[in-house]
Order: sequence, then structure tokens, then C-alpha cells
Amino acid sequence: MKKNSAFIIAISAVVLGLIAGSILMLSIGSNPLEGYSYLFKGGLMSIERIGNTIATAITLTLTGLSVAFAFKTGLFNIGAAGQMLMGGLCSTMVALTVTAPRPILLFLIILAGFTGGALWGAVPGLLKAKFNVHEVVATIMMNWIAYWVVYYVVPAYFKGMYLETESRLIPMSASLKAPWLDALFNGSYINIGIFIALIAVVIIQIILKKTTLGFELKAVGFNRDAAEYAGIKVNRNIVLSMIIAGSLAGLAGTTFYTGYASNMQIGVLPNQGFDGIAVALLGATEPWGVFASALFFGLLHSGKGFMNAMTRIPPEISDTIIATIIYFTATSVLIGRIWSFFNRRQKRKNDTKIINLDSGSDSDSEEEEK
Amino acid sequence: MKKIITLLCVLLLAAGMLFAAAEAETSAKMKVGMVTDAGTIDDKSFNQGTWEGVLMAAKDFDLDTKYLKPVGTTEADYLKEIGNLYDAGYKMMVTPGFKFETTIFKAQTKYPDAKFVLIDGSPHAGDYNVTVEKNTVSIFFAEHESGFMAGLATALQLKTGAVGFIGGMEIPPVQKFNWGFQQGVKYANTNYGTNVTMNPDNFIYQGTFSEVAAGQQLAASMYDRGVKAIFAAAGGVGVGAINEAKARATSGKNVWIIGVDVNQYADGIYSGDKSIILTSAMKRIDQAAYDMIKAELNGEFPGGQILTFNAKNNGVGIPDVNPNLTAAVQATAKEVFAKLQAGTIVVSDVKGNLIK
Repeated sequence: MKKNSAFIIAISAVVLGLIAGSILMLSIGSNPLEGYSYLFKGGLMSIERIGNTIATAITLTLTGLSVAFAFKTGLFNIGAAGQMLMGGLCSTMVALTVTAPRPILLFLIILAGFTGGALWGAVPGLLKAKFNVHEVVATIMMNWIAYWVVYYVVPAYFKGMYLETESRLIPMSASLKAPWLDALFNGSYINIGIFIALIAVVIIQIILKKTTLGFELKAVGFNRDAAEYAGIKVNRNIVLSMIIAGSLAGLAGTTFYTGYASNMQIGVLPNQGFDGIAVALLGATEPWGVFASALFFGLLHSGKGFMNAMTRIPPEISDTIIATIIYFTATSVLIGRIWSFFNRRQKRKNDTKIINLDSGSDSDSEEEEK
Repeated sequence: MKKIITLLCVLLLAAGMLFAAAEAETSAKMKVGMVTDAGTIDDKSFNQGTWEGVLMAAKDFDLDTKYLKPVGTTEADYLKEIGNLYDAGYKMMVTPGFKFETTIFKAQTKYPDAKFVLIDGSPHAGDYNVTVEKNTVSIFFAEHESGFMAGLATALQLKTGAVGFIGGMEIPPVQKFNWGFQQGVKYANTNYGTNVTMNPDNFIYQGTFSEVAAGQQLAASMYDRGVKAIFAAAGGVGVGAINEAKARATSGKNVWIIGVDVNQYADGIYSGDKSIILTSAMKRIDQAAYDMIKAELNGEFPGGQILTFNAKNNGVGIPDVNPNLTAAVQATAKEVFAKLQAGTIVVSDVKGNLIK
């Protein structure tokens, strides 16, 4: 699929989503233009709000990358939520127990998140490689294991003073929040996770585009059997792909729980893990595409409240509107099909025009181009 | 291809224009906002109670009201919604639940010209060094007095048999409900000759506010052990207990639940207008929200204070109408409540030698 068309597909998915959202707004008697203008103002109106939009996008970028990366190897990682929880838990544990100079501590926190997520991704990877257990099933199960591990570990060892459902607050010295970023963005929730996200985007881009590893992973994704025939170690690549995907989601947990939030709450399977699927699909599973679509999702999430406050749209409806937009953007695959259908028809029309006299028995032998 | 996109864009714009109703309304009404806690606005508990109070005030004083539902439950999510309300001109905000403690701590200095009402919590930075600024009021409830009234009414109505308790998390507000409830039952036993028993096996904290199924199982095992009425101060767990009681009542068993926080009578209806809710240990959250808004309108906002709503100021108690209690029981309960208000009865808010 050409890059250009991927971009057009993403844009038309967004437009379609916005149209669907505006139909919803119209149906409850609100003015969509007004609604959307407040939605975008809410996300971009001040430097603080821009900071919050980016802060929301940090986590989504990383979970989106996680899903996208596994996708490249033909794996569907539904487990970003669980990997994110485990990454977050490991980071929180380090943040609350280790005392070290800030740079070293931050490095350890990030490393812990990376490792936690990687382990959680490795298990479904191994199961898939060794026993051909479908990764969708395995990762969903791992989500719930992570959920209950957090449910047990946080109250048992890191309980807050009387809030049973939350861990202790992470001290400023062990947080990814940085005073200079705070000052720059007027007290928003942006944190140094943004650099983690950007570095991750660049690294994943390099791995996929420039390295043998990336080539092999993609080969496995395109055709497992052909890759094996070409001498690529398919199983090793599946495990590796899941480990990298898991570590990306783990880093998402690090940025969320030790940067955006200031402690861990039990009983919550983070939505960002599932939103990551939509982010990855909208971003056409390309690293920079993922980053762009994460920013868009961040804008929706952080602008929603202001739209609510300024219009008569009730919060529940605005949740529905956001969900509708997300739903439509996630159908970009379908939209891709529709575009190529139109293209083919157009082409056929042109063809018949050119070879007007040629008796037309070329009906449906045309195959979709990759 | 591009044509289609352009067409879509134009359509979108046109549709917007077409329906653009000029909604330029500038009113001088006071704007009161609320940010909800984790649950929904109709959670039959804190969110709903607070919102009803705001609506009550809106009806009486003609206010502009709005509630916002945060994306998540982190402090960042809460604070963002407060910022949204503030930017939209809502300079008075009511927040329900202790989860807002650290949020309000930050908000009260970040938005010094806004007023904050924190219900069932007091602002601190996560270290429990409470700082209530001049623009914030922190409100607590005397749950033990509420539990006491519910325990008393239950014992008076049942006269004999066993009662039980299902708590959510073992945290002070829930514990105080439990301790007060036991004192209420004991008070009836000593002063009104009832013989209601309490077995430690039937006093349980489930550990969460959300496990509906667990609540149902706990209630089932208690009823199987012969418990007649269960005081459920447990959010979603309590919903499970109510479901179990409804199922048993439908099949002709004589079981009761004592509701919590708000008058839960309607939640316990299983056929016609018959409900398994004997009475409810209420915290008048709505009243608290209403009173604070009224105070602000009169220029008497009690900023910087920590208020306690108790029997004395009618902040806690059982509902005025309890269809499942006899008139005699309700009359006696009123008498005792008067004594509680006068201070001749004192309910302890610590465990002492009570169960759990």
C-alpha cells in the first residue's frame, strides 16, 4: 500500500468519524460546529492545554507503537493494557523503594517499566512460538493476570495511608514530572515521558526500516511459511516481536503511572491499552503515523471536558461522540477497501475507454495490488 | 478521490451552518459545577446525592449547573475537569468523595477565585497534613450516628433474631457505620427490651466497593445462617446483597437489608411497592451541597472550615418515611434521635469492644 494512500485513508476515516459525531450532536439538538470548536479549543486553547493534550498522547503513542509493532510481524497484541499495568507496577515499585540520585533513579524506573512489559509480552510470544497458542487469547488472559497481580501487590506492599485502593504517592524526585517542563507548559501534566515516546518512535522506525531484524520481522508478518523457507527463524522472531511490543507497552505504563498519574490505583485495566489498537490502525501501523494519531486521540480526550462545560451536551453523550469518532477511525481498514474499490472501478472505466473495441472478458480477474 | 474528500468536508460545514442555532446566551446566573467520582451520575450514592443537592439549589435559586465526568480516576483527570469548569465560568465547584482530597489541595491554590466544596474529605498533599484554604470548605459526616439510628430502628422493628453487616473497604467511614450500627442495636436491647443478636461471623468487610457477585454470596451465606437483616455499607457489594434479598423475598422468605448513604428504598423494590429495604442509614449529601451553595449566595461561605454534618444539624439519620417500619417504631426512633441531637445519647466513633 502506498504511503500516500495510507494518509488519505487515515484522513477520510477521521473525517467520517467527525461526521458521525456531528450527526449524533445534531440528533440531540446541539450544534456540531460549536461542539467541535470547543473540543479543539479545549485541547489547544492555552499552552497548558496543549501540554495536557501531549501528555495524554504520550501513553497512547507507546501503546499504539506496541500494537503496531506486533502487527508488523502478523501478531495482534490485545495485551497492551496488561503489559502497561506490569510496566507501571514495576516502575512504581522501583520509584517507591529505591533511593538513588535522580538521573540514576529515573533510568532504573524506565528500565523497570521496560522489563516488566517485556516479560508480560514474552509469555504470549513463547506460547505462540512453542505451542501455537493464539496470541489474542494469550494476551487477553495476561491482561487479567496483570490486573489481579496489581490488585494484590499494591494494597499488600505499597498501600497508601488509608486509601486501600491506591499506592502511596510517588515522590517528586522519583517522578517523570519535571519542574522545567511544568514551567514551560504552565503547570500541565506533560512529563519527560514525551522524550521516551519520541525516542521510541525513532528507534522503532529504524528497526523496521534499516535493520535485518526489522526485515525479518516484516517477512514473518507477510508470509510465515515463505519467511521460514527463506531461512528466517520464525519462532525466534515471533518471541522477539512480542518482547519488543510488550516493552513498548510497559514504557507506556511507566509514563502513565509515574509521570501522568502520581500513584497506582487497583481495579483499573487502563483504557489506553485498548485505545492503542485504534491508534495503531489509524496510524497505518507506521511509527510516525502512530505518533500523529496518538496526538489526535489525545486532543479528543483532553478537549472533551471543555466541550462538555461549554455546551449542553451531557457527558455521557460526549463519551459516545468520542467513541463514535474512535470507532470510525479504527475502521480505516474498511475505508481502505472502499477506496481501492472506487479506484478499481475508475481504472476499469478508463481501461474500457482505452481498449474500447477489445471484447470485455477481463471482468474480475484483476487482483488487488499491494 | 480528492473530490470526495472535499465534498465530505463541505457537507460537514454545510450541515453545521444549517443547524447553527444562535446560542448566544449570557446570563448573570451563578454557575455551579460538579466533577463526578469514578462512578456514574446515577450511582445511588455520592455522585447522585451531590448532584441532587446541586439541582435542588438550582431550582430554588435559579442557577446554571453542570457536571463533568472525568476520563479516568487519576488526580490529573480530576484537575483537568476542574480546569474545564473554571474556564467555562463555573466559579463554584462541588466534588464528592475522599478521592478528591489531593486534587482539591492543588485546585484551591491554582484557582484562588473559585470556591470548592469537598464532601467527605479534606484537602492535603497526599501526606494528610490538612490545609483548607479560604476558598474551600471540607465536609464530613457523623456516620456512627447514622449507623446508630439504623441499628436502633432495625432492632425495634425485628425485636428478636440476628442481624449482620457487610462493609466495602475497611476504611473509617464504613467502620463508623458499622460501630454505630452495633451501638444502636445494643441501645434498643438495653432500653427497649428487644433481643437482637450480633454474631462476629456475620460482620464482614468484603474489601471492595465493586464486587457485586461477592456481595450476593456473602448475603446468601448470612441469610442461610439465619440472619434476618443485613446492614450493607458497601457500594456495589451492597447491590449484590440487595439482589440476593430481593430474590429471597420474591420466593416468600422474610429477609431485610438496611440501606446506606441515601434512601435506598426504591432500589429494594421486588414487587409492586414492596421493598426489602427496612430503612437506610443516610448521610444527607444533597443537603450538604445545597447548604454550601446557599451560604455562598448569601455571602456566608464558610471558607477555610472543616464542617461535620451530624444529628444536631440534621446531616445524618434515617429517612422521614420508612414504609417497612411500624408507626410505633418510627415514633420511638424520633424520640431517640431528639436525644441524640440534645446530646443525652453519645455514640462512640471508635471501635472499643465492638465487633471489627
